[in-house]
Amino acid sequence: MQYLLQLLISGLAIGAIYGLIAMGFAVIYKSTGLVNFAQGEMTMITAYIAWTISTTVGGNVVVVAFGAILAAILLGLIIERVVMRPMLGEPVFATVMVTIGLAVILRSAINFIWDAYPHGLDVGMGRDIVRFDGIGVRTGQIAVIATLLALLAAIWAFFRYSKMGIAMRAVAADDRTALLMGISASRVHAMAWAASSVIAGIGGVFFALSYDLSPAMFQLGLKAFPATILGGLDAVLGSGLGGLLIGITENLAGGYLGSDMKEIAGFAMIIVVLMIRPFGMFGERDIERV
Amino acid sequence: MRTGDYKQTYGELVALIESPPIWLWSAVLLLALIVAPYVLNAYALSFLMIILITVTGALGLNILTGYTGLISLGHVGFLVTGAYAYAILVAKYHLPPLIGFLGAGLVPALASLIVGAPSLRLKGLYLAITTLAFSFIINTVILEMRWLTNGARGLSVQRPEILGISFDSDAAFTYLCLGVATLTLFATLNIRRSRVGRAFVAIRDNDTAARVMGINLHAYKLLAFVTSAFITGLAGALYGIYLSFVSVEGFPFLLSIEALAILIVGGLGSALGAVLGTVLIVLLPEAARLVFSFFSAQLDAVFTTGAQELKSMLYGLVIILFLRFQPRGLVGAWHDIRRAWVNWPLRY
Repeated sequence: MQYLLQLLISGLAIGAIYGLIAMGFAVIYKSTGLVNFAQGEMTMITAYIAWTISTTVGGNVVVVAFGAILAAILLGLIIERVVMRPMLGEPVFATVMVTIGLAVILRSAINFIWDAYPHGLDVGMGRDIVRFDGIGVRTGQIAVIATLLALLAAIWAFFRYSKMGIAMRAVAADDRTALLMGISASRVHAMAWAASSVIAGIGGVFFALSYDLSPAMFQLGLKAFPATILGGLDAVLGSGLGGLLIGITENLAGGYLGSDMKEIAGFAMIIVVLMIRPFGMFGERDIERV
Repeated sequence: MRTGDYKQTYGELVALIESPPIWLWSAVLLLALIVAPYVLNAYALSFLMIILITVTGALGLNILTGYTGLISLGHVGFLVTGAYAYAILVAKYHLPPLIGFLGAGLVPALASLIVGAPSLRLKGLYLAITTLAFSFIINTVILEMRWLTNGARGLSVQRPEILGISFDSDAAFTYLCLGVATLTLFATLNIRRSRVGRAFVAIRDNDTAARVMGINLHAYKLLAFVTSAFITGLAGALYGIYLSFVSVEGFPFLLSIEALAILIVGGLGSALGAVLGTVLIVLLPEAARLVFSFFSAQLDAVFTTGAQELKSMLYGLVIILFLRFQPRGLVGAWHDIRRAWVNWPLRY
């Protein structure tokens, strides 16, 4: 029982990180209609920048957090402006391939700028272990779950009530009509890339806090994929929940079936999900008209 | 005045090769490739081998992604399955290499049926994601089946001896790769002009219309998967022999991206494009190194220390630049140049 609870809680913690990155996928998909294969790499870069800030400035939490968020916003905006905007109106295949190219560039750039060894991101907190009834939890793990829940609520309110959120939904639903209504689609796209970069970056920083920082972190993007497919590519909140589900599944598979199963549990799950509900649990069914 | 090539009969439309000069140039190229192993040094010869093996794989992916329009991000999965099938049959059970090659084609083809099945319901991005998942699952399966695959330790493979001919030397092995690549080229060109190939292209261009015309989408999509996986598996076996060692690490995920990059750079859906793209992508790092060393020794030093990173950054950059400025690839550029040449001084 205790083993199960321990697995569940650490599953929730890693799942919250997947959830954050999956929400990054969903935010971009919802407003631009493309899957950003460079999401994992963007996550990783933000984490590396946070690490650089923490080692040079000395690890003040507030400074690291603000610096990382600012860097993530800049990264998102630059990528959107330089790489993605010129591809507006091209076929989906082409734009998705561009994000793959981007992923390859970013991944190598990280190895090139920093190094290929693992590092620990230390901001003086998040590593202490709290015990509930014999079950050990790191404060960082609690923090990431809380952050995910807070962000879910914030994003729900954003899409529901704010002008920008409604504009993003309008562009996602039908960009031409939205343009006619006076919504600037390019501003919406820029906003989406920046937001996605920040949300996923938060996930990356939390990952670096609880585990460690290494060039293999881009795989977080691949792990968060199943989460966003499970929740629905166009469902931002669903993706967050999908992350929690994938995290738990993975940990249970790892705990009871063996560590190799842990690596592919998520992928096996999405193949099944895609065959039953190709649009995910919370996604909207595409209706094709001829 | 000659204003271009016009096709006047259906026969010309499905001809294997458009005009006699192409036969001539192809023959010249083939002759050059046959002489090459005697002329080139070992370093250049290794590039030739890699190009020939990669062409085979790229032509395989071209059937799926280029002809049928199904994006696969998991082709490295078929590559590694082919390599393992060959290594297990030949190195572990000491069967003749020909049977090994047959297995290297058939095993990935069978695996492709499993991946292809979900594709019947999925399109575009979702399919790309399923194939991506497949390539990760296959790696885990290989690592898990230790009794068959030696797990992470891998299997070592010897150069084969087929029908009494030993392919042990580099030159001989180049001929083997050349043979397989040439056969694959002929096979894919013939598939393209056959009923099956035209059905593939119809599915790519508009699957609903294709269905209305009476094309069985399920059967043809699966067929595209199977053919593509068969050819890719053969390339995998050759690559395994080239490396002389088959392990999961020898087939990194980057190869899937590289294969797509080759198709994009060359021109999607064209056999000529697959060949041109391969030559460019394989020689790109080498060419870049030459250019860098030409400019300064310092840049050259940077390139030696971060070679692997710069190499993959170049891939990414080339993919993005081609998609942005020349989406039809090298073949598209070639067509533009040819048209400009024929029509000069007119614009069109």
